[in-house]
Amino acid sequence: MAVHRGKGLATVEYPTGMNQNGDPSQAWIKVKPDGRVDVFSGTADIGNGSKTVQSQIVAETIGVPYDWVTYDNSNTDSSPMCTGTFASRATFVAGNAVLKAARQVRERILAVASRELEIDPADLEVADGSVSVKGTPAKSMGVDEVAGAATFVHGELLTGDGAHLNPGAAIIDPTTGEVDKPPHAAISYAACTAEVEVDDETGDVRVLSLTQAYDIGRAMNPTLVEGQIDGGAVMGLGFGLLEDCYPYYPTAEHRGDGMNTYHVPTMAELPEIKNVLMENPSSGGPYGAKGIGEMSNNAQPAAIANAIHDAVGVWVTEFPITPERVLAALDAKSEGRSEPRREGRVVAFDEELSINSFTSAKTWGA
Amino acid sequence: MELTVNSVSCSVQSPPLTSLLTVLREELDITSPKAGCESGGCGACTVLVDGQPRRSCLTALCTLDGSEVVTVEGLGTPEDLSRVQQAFIHHYAAQCGFCTDGLIVAATAYVGGGGSADTGDIGEALAGHYCRCTGYVKILEAVAAVARGDTFDTASTASSANNTYVTIAGAES
Repeated sequence: MAVHRGKGLATVEYPTGMNQNGDPSQAWIKVKPDGRVDVFSGTADIGNGSKTVQSQIVAETIGVPYDWVTYDNSNTDSSPMCTGTFASRATFVAGNAVLKAARQVRERILAVASRELEIDPADLEVADGSVSVKGTPAKSMGVDEVAGAATFVHGELLTGDGAHLNPGAAIIDPTTGEVDKPPHAAISYAACTAEVEVDDETGDVRVLSLTQAYDIGRAMNPTLVEGQIDGGAVMGLGFGLLEDCYPYYPTAEHRGDGMNTYHVPTMAELPEIKNVLMENPSSGGPYGAKGIGEMSNNAQPAAIANAIHDAVGVWVTEFPITPERVLAALDAKSEGRSEPRREGRVVAFDEELSINSFTSAKTWGA
Repeated sequence: MELTVNSVSCSVQSPPLTSLLTVLREELDITSPKAGCESGGCGACTVLVDGQPRRSCLTALCTLDGSEVVTVEGLGTPEDLSRVQQAFIHHYAAQCGFCTDGLIVAATAYVGGGGSADTGDIGEALAGHYCRCTGYVKILEAVAAVARGDTFDTASTASSANNTYVTIAGAES
């Protein structure tokens, strides 16, 4: 009886957004007479920071300070349509929508400033809340002055709208599966190594460290990216070792239904987490961004399962890898009836047993 | 029942077995303590009762006559944030924010009680708080920084030391 150490690796290839299913986001922007910018977008910020990142995109694209930008998605009626905050799509898809809207606003600002300054718009640039003549920064006017002139002199509203959609790709060659347009918005890549300790007497698994590398396209807001990746690591740890809707005995009524029966990781389970963030710009994302939210909790469970195999030589083929399952696998091994490693699994929706989620079917290959 | 809540004396009318959480949220309209599991499991409802962190969902009103209750509203104001609040901003220790109020209250008690900057000590003190967003990494950094006596610039956020950035020059995919 002893504690064994092991290391495991898993990799992820992740397509940003929903892609094939049509995945629209829309945005519109208006500028107040004092130059402040109001962004209307339907993307709800659930703590992932999409409000911050989209405001950054607008500020950068128009050329005004971040503090001038207000992001309003206070209600569904006044906001343009957004498919939602999921599938790592907020920065990429909704970010592209606000980017396009902001480009239009910038054009409108340049058009009004051109009349005010009597200079061709092609010779003007906008930065830090000011429109100036290229190469002659002394000749300039503030975006607030431009907005005031638009409102009170020219009778115009500085506004812009934008939308982004990845149209579904159709198969044009059934033999090869070739499609008529890119099937994915952007592909991200990730790898995670887990180091674990497995107690062969109790079946307890402790994750000592998670070392991860993520292709994030471009970190527009590094702190937010780090927050997503740290959070995803611990969520993945929970998925690998703790979290289960289905420990019910003997029937489904006895399933976990609250935080005392559905176990999520706490600070006590927190391993050492190290991240490598690789900036590998995407051609289609705003400022080279790719999605990072959902991908960040995919690799850990498989890396942990591989590390357990490295430590004690058994494949536990069902998540979460509870002490019971580790001990059952060790017993099976010692009795010479180890299951071979599974090559895949069927995931099916079980209407009888499921409240609102997918369940991994016990029967597969059917 | 007389309570002092965030330095204000309150005469509370709720029945004696009402939970402190319900009294705060429903009767006094103080909504920072969150109703998470409402069974003592998640830590989101934590408040200070006479300086000690307590699960307000499990604390009956009748046990509190004359007590002093502090919620996150009582720790600082937007213009004058407490050090723990400043640290949570600077270290980006909140994402969705549901656990944040309970954690700030508990961290305030931990640091106020002379808690160290040691990760294991902080983990032991705060392991009763669930957070689904942050993975705890930046919460730990924030609390450790307060325990170390750092000062905080709330206009900027810190990048964590556990991250390395690599730029792939000229690559596009």
